[in-house]
Amino acid sequence: MLSPERLAQPDYEYLAQRHVLTYMEDAVYQLLENREDISQYGIARFFTEYFNSVCQGTHILFREFSFIQATPHNRASFLRAFWRCFRTVGKNGDLLTMREYHCLLQLLCPDFPLELTQKAARIVLMDDAMDCLMSFSDFLFAFQIQFYYSEFLDSVAAIYQDLLLGKNPNTVIVPTSSSGLHRQRPALGEAGVPEGVEASLFYQCLENLCDRHKYSCPPLALVKEILSGVQRLTFYGFLGTLSKHPGINQALGALPDKGDLMQDPAMDEELERLLAQVPGLAPAVTATPEPGCPPSRTPPRVGSPWRPLHHPRKVDTESDGSTEETDESET
Amino acid sequence: MIPGKYRSVSGRSANNVNCGLHLVIQTSSLPEKNKVEFKFNRDSPSFPGRLLQHDLERNYSSRQGDGRVISPSPRNKSSCISSTTNLTELYGLEMKAATSSLSAFGDSSIQTPSKSRIRQGCHSAGPNISGDHINLVSSSMPSFPILQRSSEEKILYSDRLTLERQKLTVCPIIDGEEHLRLLNFQHNFITRIQNISNLQRLIFLDLYDNQIEEISGLSTLRSLRVLLLGKNRIKKISNLENLINLDVLDLHGNQITKIENVNHLCDLRVLNLARNLLSHVDNLNGLDSLTELNLRHNQITFVRDVDNLPSLQRLFLSFNNISSFDSVSCLADSTSLSDITFDGNPIAQESWYKHTVLQNMTQLRQLDMKRVTEEERRMASVVAKKEEEKKRESQKQSLLKEKKRLTINNVARHWDLQQRVANNATNQDRKDSASPPQDPCQTEGSTTSPFPEDTGAVDSGITSALQGLSVIDTHLVEVDGDTLSLYGSGALESLDRNWSVQTAGMITTVSFTFIEFDEIVQVLPKLKIKFPNSLHLKFKETNLVMLQQFNALAQLRRMDQLTVDPQGNPVVNFTLWKYYVLFRLSHFSMQKINGTEVTQNDMIMAERLFGILAHVASSELPQYRLISILGDARKKQFRYLLETKGKKPGIVNEENNDSKRLVGENTNRATLNYTTREFYNEKLEDIKEKKKFCKMYIEDLMKEATEVNMKNEALQKLWPQMFIELVRDAVIEIRNKNSYMKLCLQQITDQK
Repeated sequence: MLSPERLAQPDYEYLAQRHVLTYMEDAVYQLLENREDISQYGIARFFTEYFNSVCQGTHILFREFSFIQATPHNRASFLRAFWRCFRTVGKNGDLLTMREYHCLLQLLCPDFPLELTQKAARIVLMDDAMDCLMSFSDFLFAFQIQFYYSEFLDSVAAIYQDLLLGKNPNTVIVPTSSSGLHRQRPALGEAGVPEGVEASLFYQCLENLCDRHKYSCPPLALVKEILSGVQRLTFYGFLGTLSKHPGINQALGALPDKGDLMQDPAMDEELERLLAQVPGLAPAVTATPEPGCPPSRTPPRVGSPWRPLHHPRKVDTESDGSTEETDESET
Repeated sequence: MIPGKYRSVSGRSANNVNCGLHLVIQTSSLPEKNKVEFKFNRDSPSFPGRLLQHDLERNYSSRQGDGRVISPSPRNKSSCISSTTNLTELYGLEMKAATSSLSAFGDSSIQTPSKSRIRQGCHSAGPNISGDHINLVSSSMPSFPILQRSSEEKILYSDRLTLERQKLTVCPIIDGEEHLRLLNFQHNFITRIQNISNLQRLIFLDLYDNQIEEISGLSTLRSLRVLLLGKNRIKKISNLENLINLDVLDLHGNQITKIENVNHLCDLRVLNLARNLLSHVDNLNGLDSLTELNLRHNQITFVRDVDNLPSLQRLFLSFNNISSFDSVSCLADSTSLSDITFDGNPIAQESWYKHTVLQNMTQLRQLDMKRVTEEERRMASVVAKKEEEKKRESQKQSLLKEKKRLTINNVARHWDLQQRVANNATNQDRKDSASPPQDPCQTEGSTTSPFPEDTGAVDSGITSALQGLSVIDTHLVEVDGDTLSLYGSGALESLDRNWSVQTAGMITTVSFTFIEFDEIVQVLPKLKIKFPNSLHLKFKETNLVMLQQFNALAQLRRMDQLTVDPQGNPVVNFTLWKYYVLFRLSHFSMQKINGTEVTQNDMIMAERLFGILAHVASSELPQYRLISILGDARKKQFRYLLETKGKKPGIVNEENNDSKRLVGENTNRATLNYTTREFYNEKLEDIKEKKKFCKMYIEDLMKEATEVNMKNEALQKLWPQMFIELVRDAVIEIRNKNSYMKLCLQQITDQK
């Protein structure tokens, strides 16, 4: 329960870093929002439910964007929710535009900013023709990178720009940086025949960035693996590779592997059940379980595929394991 | 007018006069030369000469500038020669008139010199013409009978002469009858009007039933008032220039194809052109006294200019080729016309013929020779009134239509402007995100192009009426049958109006145009109350951009048709929108979307695509969220209603219950709801505020907890040592048992 880091920091900072405070704040806020209703079924029950939903990742459904992006766990949960809800759209084989994906995102998060969707689309479409159609999986993986590592990517973009202009990214002091600088300049002088920046230099900058970065970064080893494979690369080339890299996806742990992207047997089963009711066009009352009665609600929650997917890779997922937090707050 | 006059009086006629004068001068001078001496004679030819001289002068003075008017000198041959045979015939006529008047009183021997005289005269005019005239004169001269009446007859009929059925082939030379007023040549075989130019007192000339081919030889008969040329072979109305006193002109039964050269006959009362070959009627101006115009049995297809005849009372158009009232519409403008005939025209076969004519010519007293009865007139006026009403109604309709169009245009403009402003704003917002600024041009193109400014097409009457509408509304509400159409956001206020139960009940289709969807969402509860039967919603230019916006429609009572026009609603471009609508609004059992029948497959597809979403939303949402979302939805509706009609709590409550019921029916997707942008932003503000509070609260709590924890930890650390110390102190204290007991006892006694 008490990790070594736990003792190295003051409690408050530790809790803040692990986003425990975020969830506590939110829990209190929720309580405040619905105090009449909640007081009817008990505050202890509410807290239990709240932190359970945080564990399951269902707490982000239909929440405001500021909350959804507040913690890495929330981001991963949102990605997962998006995948689960709209997997069927991808399964149907429809190619959609950026705006349509954006609409789907907005169904889950009404104030989801267009900018993020646009950036994700740019990763898929390599920065051109924004009206093009994209497949669900392409978009989803690009969106995962963009959404989860949003701040990191912004920094990377700045570094890339600096490198492209031949500037040494500020405050980065790398032994080889001066030589890299010299090599970069002639490259630019050749009227940009070799596109992008040199990979090794880029990696050094990224390494430096990851050290300093307080937001989540992709595992450096994987970044190195990506960058070591090529001599030069462009920004979107890098992002594209990043988004397609299965290791990154695994590290994130929110989505299944690309091959299994359309598989979700539990949900398929549920869907079959729902479809069975459609032909008769029966009123929805008999069809779906009432949200008020717990028995019908609990089974799917237990069967939620979050945990089996989450556990095996727990070691290399985001360090702020949600289980820890819940335990902590409950004690 | 001026060229017309020029043409009608014409250089030709001036020439005639000139040449005629020329000849007359010669003839009048010739007797002197040849010493054929007749006193009478000398005077009489000189008389017309003088007259003509006078005429000539007048012509000269009026036409000085005209190059074509030539002096009578032989040097100016070319123009004389250029004149047509008509002219030469006319010269001949003039010559003959002159010569015959000479010879009429002399013996036969005179004729030879006169012949030579003419030859000479003609020679001087030109060789071509002279050749012609020799022939003519030589062939016709001998056959001219000379008419002489006995003195008794002259006294008895001093002013009239009748030569009916005399088998005359030419006009005889009538001598010594200058005071004749009436001359009758009916039923002869005369081919040319000749030898009468000296009868200057002639008032009545009857040439009915002859073989005249051209009107000629009348230019000196200035007092002529009645000219009867019926049943001849005339092809052209001409040479009437001097007959300005003409009262009656009968040209029936000829071959005239065109009405012309009559405009100067301002005293003409009766004109008969029946049984000619006229194809149309026009060029009638100037006939200011014309009261009767007979045009029966022609091939007239249209009539114009009749409204320029101020005195016309009787017009006979029977047996022509008039087939529509439009082609004779000028008749309606005539105020004097009281008698008209149309029988024998195609128009007279039409069912509308009689009342149309009567209603357009209310002054008419006789139609087709029958008196117009009061009854007929009344009938016509009833029909006319009806038609007038219809016309006014249609005008009103088109006025309304035009007003509607203009208003819609205006609304569109406003909308366009608004959109552009909004777009600019969002673009500004997104400046750094470098989004492609394609939106403004897109919306611009789509909104302006379908509403071109085509006011030019409007009737003049409507435009004049429209000027009163210069202040155009920025919104429009229209009820057409079962459709309620709202244009512009201002139109939404109309839902507050007191609609009659009947109207409200009839409305099944509600169409929104140029209204922000978010604004529509706010009136949906009102719509539900006011128009309980609305089943079909139409959206056009409403800025539907997101699928979630359709969530808002779920709160309606029922709906079986939805039409979302792609114009101004980008959401329709999405492949999924239809399925989403079907999925989200599945509790309505929609029949049609955008006019296409909803099939079972569509329903299944919709469920397949979005079923999981609904499932996740309903079953995986934590209880507290569910409560808050559903509560929100309810609160939101409640709030919209409160905002709009807070005064009627009864209805609000009822509505609130209603929405609860609905939400209950559809829980599985009720969590998918839509909050308008404004409201949502407000909510976010609210959330921010509360979060801030929570943050502070938690911070305080946390500080306290960590402090307590720290103290606790410190205490935990100190406690073992403290305990030992405490024990040690205790042990030291009780080491000397006796003294300790003493001390204790002392304490007890002290207490007492």
